[in-house]
Amino acid sequence: MAAARALAWRGFADSRARNVSFALLFALYAYAQAAAYESTYPTLADRLQFAQSFGDNLALRLFYGVPHDLLTTAGYAEWRVGGVLAIFAAAWGLLAAVKVTRAEEDAGRTELVLSGPFGRRSAFGASVAAVAAGAVLLWAALLLGLAAAGLAAGDSALVALGTTSVAVVFGGIGALAGQLGSTRRVALELGVLVLAVAFLLRVVADTSSNLEWLRWATPLGWAEELRPVAGARPAVLLLPAAATVLLLAAARWIWLRGDVGEGLLRSRETRPARLELLSSPTAQALRAERMSLAVWLAGTAVFSLVVGLLSATVADANISKDLQGQIAKLGVASITAAGYLSLTFLFFVLVVSLFASSQIASARHEESDERLEILFAQPVGRLRWLAGRLGLAIGGAVALALVAGVCAWAGAASQGADVSLADMLEAGANCLPPALLFLSLAALAFAVVPRASTGIAYGLVLVAFLWELFGSLLDVPAWTLDLSPFHQIGLVPAESFETTAAVVMIAIAAVLTLAAVVSFERRDLTGA
Amino acid sequence: MPDAIRTYGLTKRYGETLALDSLDLTVRQGEVYGYLGPNGAGKTTTIRLLLGLHRATEGRGEVFGIDAWKDAVAAHRRVAYVAGEPSLWPTMTAEETFEFLARLRGGTDTAYRDLLVERFELDTSKRVRALSKGNRQKVQLIAALATRADLLLLDEPTAGLDPLMEAAFRERVHEAKERGQTVFLSSHILSEVEALCDRVGILRDGRLVDQGTLAELRHLSAQTVEVTFAGAPPSLDGLAGVTAVPAGERSVRYEVSGEIGPLIAALANHPVIALTSREPSLEEIFLHHYDAAGGRGGG
Repeated sequence: MAAARALAWRGFADSRARNVSFALLFALYAYAQAAAYESTYPTLADRLQFAQSFGDNLALRLFYGVPHDLLTTAGYAEWRVGGVLAIFAAAWGLLAAVKVTRAEEDAGRTELVLSGPFGRRSAFGASVAAVAAGAVLLWAALLLGLAAAGLAAGDSALVALGTTSVAVVFGGIGALAGQLGSTRRVALELGVLVLAVAFLLRVVADTSSNLEWLRWATPLGWAEELRPVAGARPAVLLLPAAATVLLLAAARWIWLRGDVGEGLLRSRETRPARLELLSSPTAQALRAERMSLAVWLAGTAVFSLVVGLLSATVADANISKDLQGQIAKLGVASITAAGYLSLTFLFFVLVVSLFASSQIASARHEESDERLEILFAQPVGRLRWLAGRLGLAIGGAVALALVAGVCAWAGAASQGADVSLADMLEAGANCLPPALLFLSLAALAFAVVPRASTGIAYGLVLVAFLWELFGSLLDVPAWTLDLSPFHQIGLVPAESFETTAAVVMIAIAAVLTLAAVVSFERRDLTGA
Repeated sequence: MPDAIRTYGLTKRYGETLALDSLDLTVRQGEVYGYLGPNGAGKTTTIRLLLGLHRATEGRGEVFGIDAWKDAVAAHRRVAYVAGEPSLWPTMTAEETFEFLARLRGGTDTAYRDLLVERFELDTSKRVRALSKGNRQKVQLIAALATRADLLLLDEPTAGLDPLMEAAFRERVHEAKERGQTVFLSSHILSEVEALCDRVGILRDGRLVDQGTLAELRHLSAQTVEVTFAGAPPSLDGLAGVTAVPAGERSVRYEVSGEIGPLIAALANHPVIALTSREPSLEEIFLHHYDAAGGRGGG
């Protein structure tokens, strides 16, 4: 028992960075959304107008689900907070469960643990306990954030429970995926696939008029059907509970029978040589990244197409100018197709920037796994390698921006929305200056503080994005908002492309990249 | 003809830790040089500095007269490297790995590579992640040997190899030497170094404490003379450079540094039944260096 506790504690402690950042995200997001609603719609009249204008808006349902009560802060929080955080909660559950199961097996540590006087049953129990402890932390963070914004304790607890239930179910999915896939990467890919399907089912259920029953087929829908503050139905919680038990039982069944270090789905380990894309370090990096690049492109294509398709339906001219201003302040979709696309393209700026971060993370992974030592022992210069990796990142970012623009246009045009291809290509291009700036910052981090660079690469993008979202709601000083690259770009196509800002960002990026190259050429290669 | 490896006061600090302390090393072309030391002595650090993977705090290293840091790429055209940890690309097969590394160099001896694959009994169609540590080590070794590079930098290359494969490795090193290649073999497997190397350097806490051919190292070390007497062993105190260790009821082991003559003369007055004398093994030399400094034994 002491051993199981020690192992569970180890798993929990190893995940502290992820747990703390998600808990902060949950608490801050919940507080900011609920507080902003209170201050923007203080009277019942304001709220009625808001509900009438947006209660049936399909684009909003796409992102947040179906609202059940838009007249109280609690009801608004249930919709806006629950809808968005459910997806983050699902991602957390997958990452947490795969980390304590497959990732540990992958790294060979599980073998070490099980070689001691310690059974598989206890090991499984310890892993589950580590994830459960993290889920409790998320629940508490969300509860505190909502309560701080003035929600009743009971409402806060139930809203938080609904969102956390998604984390728990996806913890079960992660545990099962971890027993199916033989590597951490395959397990995560399986889990993300399930999440994508779950999200798609929820979107179809929430935006169609006759497929609403599909909501019962997805854990994201269960969280909606709980309706925590609009006639709560606690019995719905039995669904995530039962699903989690079943998933964990299946994962445990496989775990107790399988070979440690192997999943149920074994990939073919022997194959004839494929000799394409091996001619240079850059070609080989493209070879290693091509699957992941294809997933980024496909995801962006689908999402931008959907956004384009919806853009025509959100146009509604019957809203007063005064309300438009308030809506814009909340970051809610504006009321023309172009306005809607402009706001949603902020999301693609985030996507392209995160892609840039992922490329630096991948370069760092090559180094921390000591493959760079083998590479640089060949007649391969550091400049050549880094330039190739950065070129690949820039090429990928340009492709993503292009795909987002073209697909959004195709979707919008097919529905007769009033946007041109040129407009949307401009909106795509608008993603690039911030992405290049983030890429150069990440590259500099990689060159100067390699061990922290992956966290910095993703962290800077997310902090800047969240700051842009929260900052505008919280009335912080303008100069702090100006620091975020997301604040510097124009909302294309509704506004014009900010050429000056773009030139400045790209110039800064060029200088930072140069600094990164110079520093990287002078430093020691650094292991994990 | 420049030396294959030359370092001038090569020093490396990692924060507070002094990993390599003013190393002056010379490895001549065509020789097999054994670089000995326990874990953490600075062997891998030396190799990383010679490859320009890490940057010297002070001093510098040269490979065939080419600066190891400033002109790393030029130096690497003449070098092949086997890392201590076989960290390769997990999803590529062994054959794909060979092809990639060969293309980075701009060519390799593919006929020799095929022969090596056969000798080392490697399945080249397997992905690297499915290979055991020993087999991953073979992938590295084959890729390095097949380059026919002028200098082979080998960092504990036989870790994880079974005895048969280790024998195959020794044959290949002999062959490389016959072809005039230089081999820098970092190791703590003393029998391997003893069997392969022309010259040996012993590293301790980042300093080169001894260097020379095996014969030279032996000359400087103590010889062991074991003597069995007809009766109780006599006391031979007072002989300079001789220490006696009881080795049985009637036997004594004498460790002699320097001339052996005085001991023989002293023994002539006693009833000696048997006398064996042997040169110290590399292991004894090695342990001598570690024990003498009050440092750690073994390793």
